Amino acid sequence: MSSQRQASSAAQIPHLSPAELSYLYTSLSLPNSPIRPDGRSPTQFRPLSAETNILPGTNGSARIGFADGTQAIVGVKAEVEKTVLVSDTLDVQHEAQGTGNGEGGEGSSSAVTGGHGSWVQMSIEIPGFRDDDALPVFLSEMMRESLVGSVGVKDKSGEENMAGGLKGRLVINKRWHWRLYIDVLLLSQPLSYPLPLLSLTTHLALLSTKLPKLKSKGEEDPFFDDDWAVAEYIYPRVLGVSNTLQVRPPVTLLVISVGENVIFDPTREEIAVADAVLAISVTRDNEAGSLQPLKLLSIRTIDPPSRLTQPGIPNSENVNMLGAPAPNENVAVLNPATGEEEVPGVWRPRRGGVKRSVIAGMVKTVLKKGGVGEEVLAGLEGVEVS
Amino acid sequence: MAITILPPVVEDLGPYQNASDSDEDMSDNSDSDVEMGGVSLQKKRSHFDSTKLGAKFVTPGEVVHDDPQWMRGHGTYTTPLSTSIIATVAGNVVQTNKLLSVQPLRARYTPEIGDLVVGRIVEVQSRRWKVDIAAPLLAQLPLSAINLPGGILRRRTSADELQIRTFFNEGDLVIAEVQSVHQDGSASLHTRSLKYGKLRNGVFLAVTGTGGGGARSNLSKGGVDSSLAVPGSASGTGGVVRSRRQVWTLSTAHGGGEVDVVLGVNGYIHISKHADGEAAASSTTENVSINRMEELVSSSIYSSQNDEIHPQTRREIARLTQSIQVLVQSGVRVDEDTVTGAYNASLQVDLEVGDDEDEDEGREYLEGMKARRIIELVVKGN
Repeated sequence: MSSQRQASSAAQIPHLSPAELSYLYTSLSLPNSPIRPDGRSPTQFRPLSAETNILPGTNGSARIGFADGTQAIVGVKAEVEKTVLVSDTLDVQHEAQGTGNGEGGEGSSSAVTGGHGSWVQMSIEIPGFRDDDALPVFLSEMMRESLVGSVGVKDKSGEENMAGGLKGRLVINKRWHWRLYIDVLLLSQPLSYPLPLLSLTTHLALLSTKLPKLKSKGEEDPFFDDDWAVAEYIYPRVLGVSNTLQVRPPVTLLVISVGENVIFDPTREEIAVADAVLAISVTRDNEAGSLQPLKLLSIRTIDPPSRLTQPGIPNSENVNMLGAPAPNENVAVLNPATGEEEVPGVWRPRRGGVKRSVIAGMVKTVLKKGGVGEEVLAGLEGVEVS
Repeated sequence: MAITILPPVVEDLGPYQNASDSDEDMSDNSDSDVEMGGVSLQKKRSHFDSTKLGAKFVTPGEVVHDDPQWMRGHGTYTTPLSTSIIATVAGNVVQTNKLLSVQPLRARYTPEIGDLVVGRIVEVQSRRWKVDIAAPLLAQLPLSAINLPGGILRRRTSADELQIRTFFNEGDLVIAEVQSVHQDGSASLHTRSLKYGKLRNGVFLAVTGTGGGGARSNLSKGGVDSSLAVPGSASGTGGVVRSRRQVWTLSTAHGGGEVDVVLGVNGYIHISKHADGEAAASSTTENVSINRMEELVSSSIYSSQNDEIHPQTRREIARLTQSIQVLVQSGVRVDEDTVTGAYNASLQVDLEVGDDEDEDEGREYLEGMKARRIIELVVKGN
C-alpha cells in the first residue's frame, strides 16, 4: 500500500486510457480552435483567488488558490548579513562597474552594485516529495534563476531604477547586504505541474515584500528605522507612474503545444497529451525605447509525460476484433505537427520534438503587446497589496 | 482578459449558499438554507441541545452525546468505559428516533451489489484486474467475469490468462456492475452484459459519488428542497446518486448529435459520442438471433480506437462536462433530470449572455455568473 501511495504521488500524470488520450489530443489539436475539456479558450486561465500579507511574521507573503483546489503559500524573510568578499563576488563587482552605482554617487567605481545570486535562497515544499527530490530542487532553481537573472536598467529620466535587479537591491553597502529567504509551500497535492502556481505566488509575495528603512549612511554599520510603516517595498511601487517602467519580479508561465495549437494554464489531463511543455519566464522590459513590453528571461523545456503513456491498438491489429466487420478506416494519416504516420482515433505516444514555428508561436503569444504575459502581470499588479 | 484574479472568499458558507444569497429572486427554500447554515455554525460552539440534534456539526473525536439513552449509529463509536458517543467522521449529526449517527461531509463510495460503476484498471494480475472505483479498496474484476470476444461461452484457459492485457490494460476505463461485496468492503465486478465493457469515444470526469452508506440519498433534491432534507446538511455535497437510469442518450444542440452519458454510482462519469453500432444492433434485434447480436456488439467491446467524432460533438461533450461540474460544485445531486436541466440551462444562459459580451474568448467556459445562473434555472425547473 505504501509503495502504491508513493507511486501515485510521484506520478504527476494520471493513468489515462489510450482512447481518452486520443480523444483529448484530437480535440486540442483541432486547427485554430482547440476544444478544451473545460471549454476555456487557449489563452484563458482558470480563475484564481489571491491575497497578500497573510503571514504577520514575514517581510512579505502571499497565498494563491487555483480553481482546481491547489493552493500555495509563499513567505519571504530578509536577514542582514555581512558581505564576505570572495573572489567570485569581486568578479561580479568588476563586471558591475560598467553599469554605475546606486548608493554613493560620485562615480566611485568600487561600490558593490552587482550583488550575488546566492543571496536569494529558495526552498520549495511539495507534499509527498522529499526536499532533495528532483522536482522541488528543479523548480526552485528554475524560479531562483530567473529571479536573480532579471536586471534593472536606467529608465527614461536617467534615474537608477534598481540597478542589478533584485541582486542589486539587496546590497546595503560594501560590507553588508540583505539575504532573502523565499519559502514556498504547496498546501495541496500537486494535481498538475505546480510551477505556474508557485511562480505566481512567489511573484505576489515579492511584490508585497518590504525591507525596513535604512537610517545609517554610506559605509556605516547598517541601522534601521523601527517604524514598519515607513518600510520600503523591495520592488518600488510608484503610484501614478505608468507601470511599464517599473521593475517587476519575473513570472514563469507553463505553456504546452498540442499539434499546432498553443495552450496556456494546462490542466493535468492536457499536459498528459502535450507535444511539448515549456516553462517561459518573463518580466517587464523597462528599457526605454523597446518595442515589446516584456522581456524573455528563460525558456525551459519540461519532459512531456505523453511519451510514457500506453499506446492504443488499432482495430486492425486487435486480436479481439478478428471477427469484426472489415476495418476500412484504418488508413494511416500523416500528423502535420510531428511528421509521424498515425491511424486516426488511435493514440500513439509522442516521441518528443516539436517544430520550430510552434516554439516561436508559443514565445510570441507570451511576449507580444497585449499578450498573455502582459495580462498576467497586470492582473497580479491589480491584487491589492495591503 | 486571459486571467481572472479574485479576492479570497470566506469559506464558512457552502458554495450553494454563496450562489443563492446574491440572488434575490431565489425561492424561499434557499433563503432558509442560508439561515440554517448560520445556525449550525453558532451551534458548533454552544452547548449541545438535544432538541436541535440535526443542526450539530461534529469533527472526529468530538463527543456527540453522553446520555446513555441514545444508541450509536454510523460514524460513531463508544468506549466501554463511558457512555458517551464519539464521532469518527466529520459531518452532521443525524437523529433517527433514539439512534444517533454522523453523516460524513465527504466519503468514499461504498459498493453495493447491483451498482453500475465506471472504473479504471490500475493493475493487471494473472487471473484478474484490480479496478479503481473510488471505494476505500480496489475492486477486482476476475477474468471469469468478462465476456469473451465474439460471445463465446467457455472455460477460461491459460491462453486467455496469457493475453489478459488484450482485454483490459492499465489505465483503461471500464463500465461494470458490482457482483458481490466482500467482508472487508471490497467489491467484485462483472462485465457480463452487452452494455458493459471498455469505454472510448469520450471524456471521463470524477465527481463525488454515493458515499457514507448512501446516507446522502435521503438528501432529496440535493439541498434544494430543504423541507425533506436533513436540517444542517442542506449544503450537501451533491454528486451522483443511485437512480433509475444511470446510462442514457442525450440529443445535443448545435449539431452535436447524440451523446451517451454514463453516471457511475461511484461518482465516475463518462460522456461519449453515441455509438451507432449498438443502436443498429438493438433496432434489428427482431431478426437477429441472440448469438449473432452478441457477436455484432462485442466486436467493439475491446477496441481502443476512437470513431471519428466531429468538432461540434466534441464541443457539446465539453459543455455537458462543465454542466455536470457546475452541478457538483454547487452541491446539487447529479442524475438524469439535473444533468439534462443543467445542459439546457447552459444553452439558455449562452443566449442571454451572448448579446452583451462581444468578446468571443472563453465563451464556453462556465463559471462565476454563468454557473450561478445555471443552478438557478436547474433549481427552478425541478
